[in-house]
Amino acid sequence: MTLAASDSEVAIDVRGISKEFRSVVAVDDVSLTIPRGEVFGLVGPDGAGKSTLIRMLTTVLLPTSGDAFVFGKSVLSEAHEVKPRIGYMSQQFSLYGDLTVAENLNFFAELRGVPRADLAARTKRLLEFSGLTEFAKRQAQFLSGGMKQKLALAATLISEPDLLFLDEPTTGVDPVSRREFWRIISDLHRQGITVFVATPYMDEADRCNEIAFMTQGRIILRDTPAGMKRRVPGRVIEVAVRDFRAAMPVVRSLPFVTSVEVSGELLRVLVEACSEEQECERELTDALDEAGFPVEYLRPASTDLEMAFATLIPSAGGLVGTADEQILAVPE
Amino acid sequence: MRRVLAIARKEFLHITRDRRLLGVILVMPLIQLFLYSYALSFDVKHLPTAALDLDHTQQSRMYINALEQSNYFTVNRVLDNYSEVDDVFESNTDRVVVVVGRGFGRDSSGGGAGEVQVLVDGSDANSAQLAQTYAGALSRLYGANIVIQQYEAKGFNTSAIGGLSANVRTWYNPEGKSASYFVPGLIVVLVTMVTVLQTANTLVREKENGTYEQLIVSPIRRIELMVGKIAPWALIGALDIIIISLIGILVFRIPFRGSVVLLALASLLYVICTLGLGLIVSARASSVDTANQLAALVSFLPTFMLSGFIFPLSSLPIALQALSYLYPARYFMVCTRTIFLKGGGMSVLWPQIAALTIFAVLITVLAASIYRERA
Repeated sequence: MTLAASDSEVAIDVRGISKEFRSVVAVDDVSLTIPRGEVFGLVGPDGAGKSTLIRMLTTVLLPTSGDAFVFGKSVLSEAHEVKPRIGYMSQQFSLYGDLTVAENLNFFAELRGVPRADLAARTKRLLEFSGLTEFAKRQAQFLSGGMKQKLALAATLISEPDLLFLDEPTTGVDPVSRREFWRIISDLHRQGITVFVATPYMDEADRCNEIAFMTQGRIILRDTPAGMKRRVPGRVIEVAVRDFRAAMPVVRSLPFVTSVEVSGELLRVLVEACSEEQECERELTDALDEAGFPVEYLRPASTDLEMAFATLIPSAGGLVGTADEQILAVPE
Repeated sequence: MRRVLAIARKEFLHITRDRRLLGVILVMPLIQLFLYSYALSFDVKHLPTAALDLDHTQQSRMYINALEQSNYFTVNRVLDNYSEVDDVFESNTDRVVVVVGRGFGRDSSGGGAGEVQVLVDGSDANSAQLAQTYAGALSRLYGANIVIQQYEAKGFNTSAIGGLSANVRTWYNPEGKSASYFVPGLIVVLVTMVTVLQTANTLVREKENGTYEQLIVSPIRRIELMVGKIAPWALIGALDIIIISLIGILVFRIPFRGSVVLLALASLLYVICTLGLGLIVSARASSVDTANQLAALVSFLPTFMLSGFIFPLSSLPIALQALSYLYPARYFMVCTRTIFLKGGGMSVLWPQIAALTIFAVLITVLAASIYRERA
């Protein structure tokens, strides 16, 4: 039994939940407790089971086994008491393209029983909040990708939920809109709303209070972003070298190098502790020079989540990138 | 209630935003109405006819003239010999060739039976059959007149002769007008197509667009969603029935002899059936395409084939006749035709109304139970 006292503390309590689609296990015995007021990030590659987990928590899908409690109410047997308190923004654009911005907001307000007296004020505030005031009469299908996502968020916020589920909310959104979107989420967080966000982007995960790594239907690790980074053994050296993509195999072949990734025009190299100070730096420089890639400069850097994800979950290595990299990366 | 209205209002917005859909709902019924009533006409009048007069007597000319007077045949040309008959049919100019044989005049005025040959182009089976019947009947009548004339010429008082005459009259549709037959039937077909097809689409489209999940996550109950979804289509179905009826009555001059209330009741029950069917299709189909095909399968085909719209049900194979009892269209078809043309009331239509009620209840229960399940 969930105690009344913990009701006010715990937003989500997942107990051994699983979902199978025919023979595929999409979510495999996941248990998770998320305190109120947190911005919780669920990180993992495509197909890890993030969406399935969220869809079970939002009462869209029935779990094959296990149960989950949202504010103490079971998503299985008390779904009707869960629904009024949550907002859910699915991965796919989930509003009506042929309805205008204002009509969409109005529809979801009516559907969720927003008091008529509050409706006008709330709509106005959300339109301002999402920067959509001047587009109120535009059909949703003619909005840009970023504006669509902000409208979808506004539509889920119109009923003032206590808990917000966001499933990859910024996929396909330009970097400026992404930053804007996260500014809004920070505002919500300050208002005390609990946010559960699934994202494939490490820079977004970095903005959460806590994150869980999910892969192959299981949650592998859970920690704060800083804690995740601390778990990575070794240290990171950033290497500036011309033709950095061609130089990557050279770096990767060195025995003390754990992983290499590209960040902008730099190589970020994770190295095991070398026996002497600066020894790793020296060997890196020598090896690259020898292979015909003169090093411009080297500098120590901090680990990031991407690196943590790649090293802490070997099977997921290379599947995840930052959005910026995905947008800016030159095809090889 | 507020949630039901929210859904219904949203559906109306979808409809008004979709010009193509508006066309389908409001213009398609009109096009079909005119198409079926004019082009698919079963009226046979002024059949294009050619005459081959091999006799060249006064009697033969009188006979051909009599054919033309009947209004059923229009003699476009007179042929000179047999070999031209093939050309006539092949060029598709005329559908009937009447051949008056040599000696027609002599035989018919005494001593024998004048012979006439009626050749019919069977590639249009319907007009062929009617041409055959008309030509046969006209010739018998003509023949009888000749006999009477001859008796009179010989001094008999023909009014004293007994005989037998079959006086066939078509009730309710005395002129055999296609429109009278088609318009009440067309109401059934069009209402079925619009309501089943559109409701079948409505939910699948939400699933494909991802908006369905938002509905599930909201506190709306399935039954509210169901009612909100079908309410606009019930209204549009009613609108279509009214439009078609009015055009039928005002433009095609078909009679309306029965009760408006009874028609409204039958329509309501039937529309509940079709909307329910649409919802069931929509809940079960995996994509908009499947939904459309399934909807066509459960609406278009049965209402066309199994309702008596085009083929009289009694002429169907036994298996199909049995199947037709399982589909509500046949009952509604009887209702519309009876109410429009015969003015029949509840006392004759109660079995149909009862059947429609049973179907409406069954389909609603089935749809509701499907909707209660969670995805």
